[in-house]
Amino acid sequence: MNSIPIEYYLILSAFMFSIGVTGVLIRRNAIVVFMSIELMLNSANLTLVAFSSYLGNPIGQVFVFFVMTVAAAEAAVGLAIIIAIFRNKLTVNIDEINIFKW
Amino acid sequence: MIQNYIPIFFVIAVAAIFGVAVIFSSKLFGPQRPDKIKESPYESGKKPFGNTKERVSIKYYLVAMLFIIFDIEVIFVYPWAVQFKSLWAEFGIFAFLPMFVFLIVLEIGFLYIYMKGGLKWD
Amino acid sequence: MGNIIINDLWSFLKPEIFIAGGIFIILLADLVIRDNRKAIHFTALIILIAAFASALLQMGTESFIFYLGKGNNHGLLAVDPMSTFIKLITIFSTILIVIFTITSEEFKGSKFKSGEFYTLLFGMLLGMLLLSSGADLIIIYVSLELLSLSSYVLAGFIAGSNRSSEASLKYVIYGATSSGIMLFGISILYGLTGTTNLYAIHTILVSPHVNYLTLGLSILMIFIGIGFKISAVPFHFWTPDVYEGSPLPVTAYLSVASKAAGFALLIRFIKVGFISSVGTNGFWNFYENFDWQLFLIILSIASMTVGNLTALWQNNVKRMLAYSSIAHAGYMLLAIAVLSEKGMLAFLVYIAIYMFMNLGAFYAVMLVANKKGNEEISSFAGLGYKNPYLAFGLSIFLISLTGIPPTGGFIGKLYLFIALLDGDMYWPALIALLNTVISLYYYVRIIKEMYLTKALDDTTIETSKTELTFMFALVAPILVFGIYFTPLVNFCTNFVRILGF
Repeated sequence: MNSIPIEYYLILSAFMFSIGVTGVLIRRNAIVVFMSIELMLNSANLTLVAFSSYLGNPIGQVFVFFVMTVAAAEAAVGLAIIIAIFRNKLTVNIDEINIFKW
Repeated sequence: MIQNYIPIFFVIAVAAIFGVAVIFSSKLFGPQRPDKIKESPYESGKKPFGNTKERVSIKYYLVAMLFIIFDIEVIFVYPWAVQFKSLWAEFGIFAFLPMFVFLIVLEIGFLYIYMKGGLKWD
Repeated sequence: MGNIIINDLWSFLKPEIFIAGGIFIILLADLVIRDNRKAIHFTALIILIAAFASALLQMGTESFIFYLGKGNNHGLLAVDPMSTFIKLITIFSTILIVIFTITSEEFKGSKFKSGEFYTLLFGMLLGMLLLSSGADLIIIYVSLELLSLSSYVLAGFIAGSNRSSEASLKYVIYGATSSGIMLFGISILYGLTGTTNLYAIHTILVSPHVNYLTLGLSILMIFIGIGFKISAVPFHFWTPDVYEGSPLPVTAYLSVASKAAGFALLIRFIKVGFISSVGTNGFWNFYENFDWQLFLIILSIASMTVGNLTALWQNNVKRMLAYSSIAHAGYMLLAIAVLSEKGMLAFLVYIAIYMFMNLGAFYAVMLVANKKGNEEISSFAGLGYKNPYLAFGLSIFLISLTGIPPTGGFIGKLYLFIALLDGDMYWPALIALLNTVISLYYYVRIIKEMYLTKALDDTTIETSKTELTFMFALVAPILVFGIYFTPLVNFCTNFVRILGF
């Protein structure tokens, strides 16, 4: 069962994290940005679980429970805020949400 | 190793068979007298127009958000339930109280949503 | 075992218990009480005062709570003088914010849902209280998110306002991204050390078997999350927009309480996790090969310089105060970057005075904005003649923010410079001094507008007696501490200690 080395998990999670960060930086749709943020959180979850199994120490998995809950709450708050802004401006494109500038 | 997973495979198989069986049994046993009007999409008695893939009402968002939050809390109950016997042996009533408080907290949140009309569809 | 936990909870976590109970009391009160909105304001005030009193009573106690069990002498939460101080600051500023809310024009009328507002405000406060004593990365992450999620909603609390919802969206995107990066850093730190407890991490890092490159990377990622909370440059980009768009009581709250909690996290993170020992002369020593002092100094100098220079050409007073709060975060960060007990004392003195002067400045701005409907600097023209009391109060707050005697702001700066010179940090001290001079320009610009510029229109800016009394209640400590500051400093000296160090 332990045939997959830890590096593989870490490379995968680093890759997922990079995709998430890139998505946050380049996507213009607020909902897609939130999906990218979820991806970042999930890559951290993968790292935690991989280390937890590697170290034989359950704290990482406990942490993952909390991260999942927080991610759900964050998604709910984020969606609520996106709806609030959609009602006002009829757009979720973050380039058009630009009242405040330098 | 693999025999430990047999119950899981069994559950998956039963779920798959049951799902498929229900769909096909209604086709098989139900009365079927199709005609042209019955097969056309229903559009309140008018002639059908447009795509059947409509956008979902924005009200669904609210229910979906509430669902996400209340659904995910279950993950804290699972490990507690699995370990309950040994926890009970070690802590007695204090193995039970924290989860009780946790669920009461959830219920207060649910009560608030319900009383504020968050679950009303209209 | 269970008895011990309940005993611990009651003897060390009373403020948290009051606030957590308060959340439910207010939620249920909001369901029951339909017309009498004042009752909810008063319920919130009473709960907060009870929490403040209980925090005062637990002064001087030091203990871990929620021990990890079996052969582990570390706990999830650490109650110690430093965290008690931050709890006092955050609860006290929440009390002031409740009074802000009662007099705010943005929150008048039937559209303001006071029950929800206080529930979220208390959620934020609970997050801060737990954050200030969190000794475990799980607790730290969860309470940071509790704090952030509540504040995202509060920033967009005025439904139907474009500005408020834009502030909220920007806040949630920046906040969620930086906390995601922080979480990834935490996961790497967990992998390196095999534990999430800061005290256990300390014992592991003492033995030099750690890959310092990876460790540095993970700490850099965690710093992004902390830097976001204290709005240090270069993680400050959300600050001006969110501060300008949010309702003013929320802005004031973010600028003081949430920053204080962020600093508490920073101090515990550095001092518990990454200081090998505290020397007899009060200086903290990093591990070998692992010196973050320069990093902290650069961060703080960048914060104060960017904050002050950008504030120079702001025409919205709220936005100007946002940049000024970035600059003040820089000063406070510099006090911590001295890495000594004197620096800690300087930080505590600074943040106590900062609470009074910054909240006071925001309150005075709010009283003007209540009548004018905006916070543009032109709205302040001729205020010195229209409402001399208000203008006088605001001038005191601004002078104190600059750091000119005889105000409390000067004492804060004085202790900062003493700590800096004590730590042989002459260049940072010089730059901080230059920054103070720069900041004089934009603070005085408001004072000049109030006294020397003719008003464009003749709208009167009236304030009720209660509002003025409250404002002068904030002016008083600034003037008193500016002259007679020994009690404040003695009070703060009691709170320098952190559990275990």
